[in-house]
Amino acid sequence: MQTQRLFDRIDSIQFRGITKKYGEGFAVKDLDLEIIGGELLILIGPSGSGKTTTLRMINRMIEQDEGSVTINEIDTKNVDPVRLRRNIGYVIQNIGLFPHMTIGENIGLVPKLEKQSKNDIEERVKTLLEFVSLPPEMFMNRYPKQLSGGQQQRVGLARAMAMDPPLFLMDEPFGALDPILRKQLQKEFLKIKNEINRTIVFVTHDIEEALVLGDRIAIMDQGKLVQVGPPEELIFNPENELVADIVDNQRKFKHMDTLKVKDLMSPFEEKYILDLKTQACDAVDEMTNRDLETAFVFDGDELLGQVEIVDLMKCRDREEKLSELAKPIKSFQPTDSVAFALSEMKNSGKYLAIVMNSKKPVGILVSDEVLLKLI
Amino acid sequence: MFSIQIIADVWERNLMTMRTIEHLHMFSIALILSIIIGVSVGIFIYMKPKTANPVLNFLNIVETIPDLALIVLLLPIVKLGAGPTIAACVLYSILPIARNTYTGLKNVDEQYTYVAQAIGLSPKEALLKVRIPMSLPLIAGGIRIALVFCMGVVTLGGLVAAGGLGTVLQNGIQLYQKDAILVAGLWTGLLAVLLDAFAGLIEKKLHERYGTW
Repeated sequence: MQTQRLFDRIDSIQFRGITKKYGEGFAVKDLDLEIIGGELLILIGPSGSGKTTTLRMINRMIEQDEGSVTINEIDTKNVDPVRLRRNIGYVIQNIGLFPHMTIGENIGLVPKLEKQSKNDIEERVKTLLEFVSLPPEMFMNRYPKQLSGGQQQRVGLARAMAMDPPLFLMDEPFGALDPILRKQLQKEFLKIKNEINRTIVFVTHDIEEALVLGDRIAIMDQGKLVQVGPPEELIFNPENELVADIVDNQRKFKHMDTLKVKDLMSPFEEKYILDLKTQACDAVDEMTNRDLETAFVFDGDELLGQVEIVDLMKCRDREEKLSELAKPIKSFQPTDSVAFALSEMKNSGKYLAIVMNSKKPVGILVSDEVLLKLI
Repeated sequence: MFSIQIIADVWERNLMTMRTIEHLHMFSIALILSIIIGVSVGIFIYMKPKTANPVLNFLNIVETIPDLALIVLLLPIVKLGAGPTIAACVLYSILPIARNTYTGLKNVDEQYTYVAQAIGLSPKEALLKVRIPMSLPLIAGGIRIALVFCMGVVTLGGLVAAGGLGTVLQNGIQLYQKDAILVAGLWTGLLAVLLDAFAGLIEKKLHERYGTW
């Protein structure tokens, strides 16, 4: 079966009078919402607010009881759901890579069903793996269980892009990842966003993520749309208490001056340490095993710097040692003030710093994590 | 007392090379038919869930008929010889294969079938690309049970002139040749164990490749 492209770009997606009943109650009630082509719209709200239901009505994984969803004025009811879904990239929290297929087969599955030629598919898979910073020759023939959580989610992104869809639905894609990993993937995800002509609808419950990624944010509560607008608008003109609560930034920084680094750092673990003599490629395997995206390089007791798995994988030269690759990293004392540490990190453009007590690493400071803890 | 010489004599006298070939021939035909029919029935009752219970119950009843009785009951329909033996094998083997296929297809982790649907696989494609491959370890388990059944039933075929190693045993019993009974019995047993071990190996490989649990 060869499906025609439904749309080359999204002009707008319209929800008109959408109601979805759920038993006696409503999952979504009388929702009107427009998603503008090219934007990244965040759907956020407490659990049970209807944000996921709303997302899933776009690709008809959930069918509304009343109202219509139109994409470029085409009513999705009139489109074959299989065809519709092949025109929409979909990324989900638990990823769901098929365990019996290699990474290459997972990404190339729909193109293969679309009867694209073997060579085309292989080329496409390679391009996509490069795009999500996984060297194809290293990953194409592996199975999902041989990958770390972060690598799997990258493959999930690549799979969603296989048919080059103009629209992406993202269902809490980074929800299950730890903060460091999440930050990293968000950063890479912004690359996709910045490609022209892509429209993205993104469900999350993490307001930090929403504020970082979203062009507009739609706040939902009890099946209703409470307010939709750009982040600044929500912060400065909240429609009601709930919106103010969700986006309110004032309280966050109230205690900032009194707090120390040690109050807000994440504990340091032995697994973050790599020896300086490790070779780049061994380090990649080691980090995959330990499920790490970033690690710290030590020479005995001496901190040399930080390495990120993305950079290591790009280095083809197998002889290179970590001592040559480690990048400098900020380090703080546990008793330094958080405000000082954050401004230092901001100045150096780093989201990550290490906390050292004399010569011993005791913690990791992640800027986003600090903000979250301040809420 | 049980020297190589005696074994070789018994082997020669009873044409056991030929009998073994006959035996494995019947066994292979029966097993292949069982797999084709069993897997088809399993997929069918998965696609038409209302038929699942009646079909499985019926196969369960077939399963309770003693094998000897089943072979005899089949005589009027498929005549003497290999026919009733193979037919009995197949009738017995459909249940484990169909049941395992059905269970396997039904119990594929929902997260995979959900994703399959969400990225745009039609129900048929999801069945072929996701459900069936992910059920293979369980299907192989069913086939392995069928394999053991078939080995037993094919040996019984000696009673109805089906040929095979059962004939050697049958002759041995009739003529009270202890060494023939021993050699043929041990050999039949060894064959069954070897085949089962081989099937177990395949099952394990499939588990590693396709299994998630």
